[in-house]
Parts: sequence; C-alpha cells; structure tokens
Amino acid sequence: MDPDAVAKAFVDHYYTTFDTNRAGLANLYQETSMLSFEGVKIQGAQSIVGKLTSLPFQQCKHHINTVDCQPSGPAGGMLVFVSGNLQLPGEQHALKFSQMFHLMPTQQGSFYVLNDIFRLNYA
Amino acid sequence: MDPDAVAKAFVEHYYSTFDTNRAGLANLYQESSMLHFEGQKYQGTQSIAGKLTGLPFQQCKHQINTVDCQPSGPAGGMLVFVSGNLSLPGEQHALKFSQMFHLIPTGQGSFYVQNDIFRLNYA
Repeated sequence: MDPDAVAKAFVDHYYTTFDTNRAGLANLYQETSMLSFEGVKIQGAQSIVGKLTSLPFQQCKHHINTVDCQPSGPAGGMLVFVSGNLQLPGEQHALKFSQMFHLMPTQQGSFYVLNDIFRLNYA
Repeated sequence: MDPDAVAKAFVEHYYSTFDTNRAGLANLYQESSMLHFEGQKYQGTQSIAGKLTGLPFQQCKHQINTVDCQPSGPAGGMLVFVSGNLSLPGEQHALKFSQMFHLIPTGQGSFYVQNDIFRLNYA
C-alpha cells in the first residue's frame, strides 16, 4: 500500500478516535510504546492511555494542516510528522501542535504506535 | 551513553554546523537518507546537501526551544524531535519551526541522519 495513503489513513483514524472515543486509543499502543507529551515521558499502553484520557478537557477537535511520512528502515516502520490545531471548548483560539508517530507493522497487517512525541507550538 | 545526552549533542552539532558551515552537513547523511523540507522530498547526501546549501539565505541562526528523544527500536536508532526559532538577517521576527530526525548508528560510534522532516510553524 502507498505509504502516504497509509499515513493519511492512520492520521485520520488517530485524531478521530482521540476526538470521539479517547479510550479507544489503547488499541494503537503496546507495552513497548513510548509517549513524550509536552516533555513528560510515559511508557506502555495502559499508562499512555491513562495520560490521554485524563487530560483536563472532556471534548476537543483536532484539525490537521500537514502530514509528512517516510519509511524508517528495513523493519517496515513508518515515521509520520503532523502539524495542526487543537480546539478546546470555550477557548477562543485553537492551540497549535506538532506530533510525530513511529508506526510499526503488526502481524495482522495493520500498525501500532511505537513512538509518539507531542508538542504544542506556542506563539 | 545516555540517549538524552546523545540527542542534545547531536542537536547542538547539527544546528551549529547549519549556521556556520552548511556544506558540512553532508557528513551527517548517507545515500539512503531522506529529507522532507516543507513538503518537498529529497533523497541521498548530494541531493539533501544541495537543497540545504541552496536555501535562499546566506546566514541564519537556529535557537532551540525543546528537544525530545526516544529510542526507535532494536537497531539502536534514535528519534529526536526539535522545536525552535530560525532568525534570518533583515527579518524582524524569527520563523518558528519543528524538525524530526531519525538517527542510526554508523558503527564507528557516531550517528547519521536516516530521516529528516522539517516544517515551519506558521502563526
């Protein structure tokens, strides 16, 4: 499958899940997965989803501006680099963010997130 | 060596070289290296160094705000995620950027850049 198409499908799925069913993100991580969220380091699906589901807002909406994708090496991994806006209810201005995912193939033909780094882009 | 220390050393070396001896960046890439620069795709040392040395400014200064680093898998690779400002002479306001590197060990104790993605963060 075309890597850019895989990246786009993953990005659509990830942010839709984040915005509508945040706990469902657990399926995208494994025990070896690592998240750096604004400099805070978290490892393993349970801890990562614990962090994401406890962020201090009930609702949010991600709007994606750019998606860049490159193969990461012979193991079939893919690097996906995203920039966009994060709208929170009650906030007049959206937050800007950049995020990087390193996707690794699962044996069932899909991908899981091995590495995830999220940073807000302050003005 | 501590991964965070390796990442910090790489980042300092990369942006110092960029700002003082841009052609010297060629040593950090190999034939398999990939660069996405504001959505444009380049592969291989020559093409990448050609793009970077051909950027439309003679001087620049990178100031780094954040560096995040995670191991990318069993092959010893490292993911480095950077945000910062890029000052160009004559420009009143610095440009904001995010950049992601995937470093792979050379076997001689250092790293080369296998993957490089650069994006400006527009207001």
